Amino acid sequence: MRRRTFLQAVPLVGLLAACGKSAKIKLALDWKPEPEFGGFYAAPYSKYALDVEILPGGAGTPTVQMVGAGSVDFGIVSGDEVVLARSHGNDVVALFAVFQNNPAGIMAHASRNLHDIGDVLKDGTLAIQSGLPFARLLERKYGFSHVKVVPSPGGDITPFLNDEKFAQQCYLTSEPVTARRKGIAVQVFAISEIGYNPYATVLATSGDMLRKNPERAKAVVAAVREGWRAYLDDPQSANQRMNQLNPTMDLAAFAEVAEVQKPLIETDATRRDGLGTMSRERWDGLITQLKDLGDIAQAIPPEDCFKLL
Amino acid sequence: MDLRVDAGEFLAVLGPSGCGKSTLLRMIAGLDRPNSGRIVMAPAGDPFQTAFVFQDAHLLPWRNVLDNAALPLELMGVSKEERHIRARAALDQVDLQDAIDKVPAQLSGGMRMRVSLARALVTEPRLLLLDEPFAALDEITRFHLDVQLRELWQRGAMTVVFVTHSVSEAAFLANRAVVMDRGGGAIKLDRTLALPAERSNELRGDPRLGQEMKLLLEAIE
Amino acid sequence: MKKTLLPPLIPFVVLTLAVEFSVREGFVRPYLLPAPSAVFRAVIEDRAELAQALLATSSATLAGFAMSALTGITVAVLLSSSRAIERAFYPYAVFFQTVPLIAIAPLLVIWFGYGLQTVIASAFVASVFPVIANTLTGILSTDPALRDLFKLYGATPLVTLFKLRLPAALPQVFTGLRVSAGLAVIGAIVGEFIGGGGLGSVVDIARTQQRIDKVFAAVLLASMLGLTMFGLINWVSHMTLRRWHASEQTE
Repeated sequence: MRRRTFLQAVPLVGLLAACGKSAKIKLALDWKPEPEFGGFYAAPYSKYALDVEILPGGAGTPTVQMVGAGSVDFGIVSGDEVVLARSHGNDVVALFAVFQNNPAGIMAHASRNLHDIGDVLKDGTLAIQSGLPFARLLERKYGFSHVKVVPSPGGDITPFLNDEKFAQQCYLTSEPVTARRKGIAVQVFAISEIGYNPYATVLATSGDMLRKNPERAKAVVAAVREGWRAYLDDPQSANQRMNQLNPTMDLAAFAEVAEVQKPLIETDATRRDGLGTMSRERWDGLITQLKDLGDIAQAIPPEDCFKLL
Repeated sequence: MDLRVDAGEFLAVLGPSGCGKSTLLRMIAGLDRPNSGRIVMAPAGDPFQTAFVFQDAHLLPWRNVLDNAALPLELMGVSKEERHIRARAALDQVDLQDAIDKVPAQLSGGMRMRVSLARALVTEPRLLLLDEPFAALDEITRFHLDVQLRELWQRGAMTVVFVTHSVSEAAFLANRAVVMDRGGGAIKLDRTLALPAERSNELRGDPRLGQEMKLLLEAIE
Repeated sequence: MKKTLLPPLIPFVVLTLAVEFSVREGFVRPYLLPAPSAVFRAVIEDRAELAQALLATSSATLAGFAMSALTGITVAVLLSSSRAIERAFYPYAVFFQTVPLIAIAPLLVIWFGYGLQTVIASAFVASVFPVIANTLTGILSTDPALRDLFKLYGATPLVTLFKLRLPAALPQVFTGLRVSAGLAVIGAIVGEFIGGGGLGSVVDIARTQQRIDKVFAAVLLASMLGLTMFGLINWVSHMTLRRWHASEQTE
């Protein structure tokens, strides 16, 4: 199949470093600037002769398509998005997984005294993106016959606040923090509870970029790894930068979330192999789950999905 | 101005553009109010029926000829049966008895104007006001309608006030003509025409008509 | 019939073939723009789901549109009754036109809850203004000579409204309804993005599944809904105005 490439990459990084000029790079986020992206804002890009422009995103930002099409050089995607994309012929490759454990979950009012994730589905309303693999896993395991399923409000917790029997999908690091600050005690059930645990907030690039300019990708990953180390040790300055871009969360909330997310980011695996590490087993497991769910027609080689640089 | 119109007259009102002839007509109809002065109708006790014919036919496009002609009676609350009978009679008078089921879009300009006339006549008005009704029509149709109008006037007990731009039309139709002054409304000429009571198209070539026309034209200029 | 159907069909066929060719040859990536054959396949394979979704969206759209038509005409009649009323309240009608629907939709969900009623409300908000605006224009632009005629024969304002101004406004009313129909479809889909159900929900879910062929299939069905409504209104307009107006006579 003839393919026209939209990306003209020339291995300039080394040359430019020598000339003192930085390579211009676009990095697209899949949400607003929040602590989940802290390391990207704290990264010392100029040290690696990189001039990185971070593009904040929002609800529905199609980062995996943007990376595949080459309209941005790097983007943040979720692990399962990478597998789905590749199975549709979109050549994106994961480079760095911020969240070793997936922060997605279901948030419910603590007053309901629920025991596990299955309890949430016994009553009331569940706001969830039904197209997501974990939604369909939940449906398969527990059934949606007793709960009213509605679209996810995308970060807005107003319906949640107004209705005690309203549960919604969330990121451990985001909506529960906001809800607690509004005075509602919440209970969060991680989706990893049902055995679904793809890497999250994954830095990805196109296969083209890796073939044509591996040095640049390597430099970006190195910078990002340093950035995350710096952010885990002291998130303050990056938080201030992000707060300016996203004033919907105040600095205290930023600090709280930065703390809450640490155990999901720094694990035994990362202490052993470095921040952002990924394993073939995890990718293989995810591919099997998605094939089982029917989200992908055929299994794809797990080693194609990621590259450790 | 001071103008007196006697019952049964056929009065033509002439004048240059902007002299206020149309406004005068509308005031008589009660559609506009004078800033000063009065319009008096006598005898006042009578429910005085006035009919108005505009320059364009202004028919209701969604109604057929019969219902258009019957409109005034409908607005006055007359029963459907009665108003249809009277509308047919009025349409007979203008020779449209074969077109009662047609809609305005199917009629020629002249036919539409005749419906408009029939509509004006359906209430058997005592006073018929016409504001340049035939101006938009071609000459042949115009001549034909002039004759028809004159006949209708002669048949009924109507007073007609006819505003026109056309000196020849005024002279042909009226027994009295009034010429208004430009931009003031004052009457420059008030003349009873020296023409026979019977007006047919043959009169068009008659030198007496030409003479009256000349007098009227001079007054306008 | 042939004269109206054939001309638009030709560019459609050409464009479809061009896109199909581009995707097959790799000029366009299939995850950015699906091949028409893939869209068609999605319509067939997922026909049960799509049919149900189409039914839901159609119901909401038609209900919202019907409300817009009734409310719009009524409001326009009320606004036409006096200049003072028109001036005081017309700006609020404009509000329905200018407010970004995607910002209001979450509010609608809060007020009306998740379900068909919110989708109907969304379709209504999106489509009511053109009916008001066009009907009002139609009523206010009645032939002044005819208004004089009615006055002359002692018709009350109410009689004039029903026997003259409303019938005369009918062509404008249909213009408003035509515009309103398309907007009602859009309003319903936006409402479904936020409130769930119907083709909007299919689009949203397919998007997260990266099934762009299904996205296009749903969008195609939504367009067909809009086209059908438009065609129906045109037909009713034609049948109603056939006798009356020069614009209809040229058929």
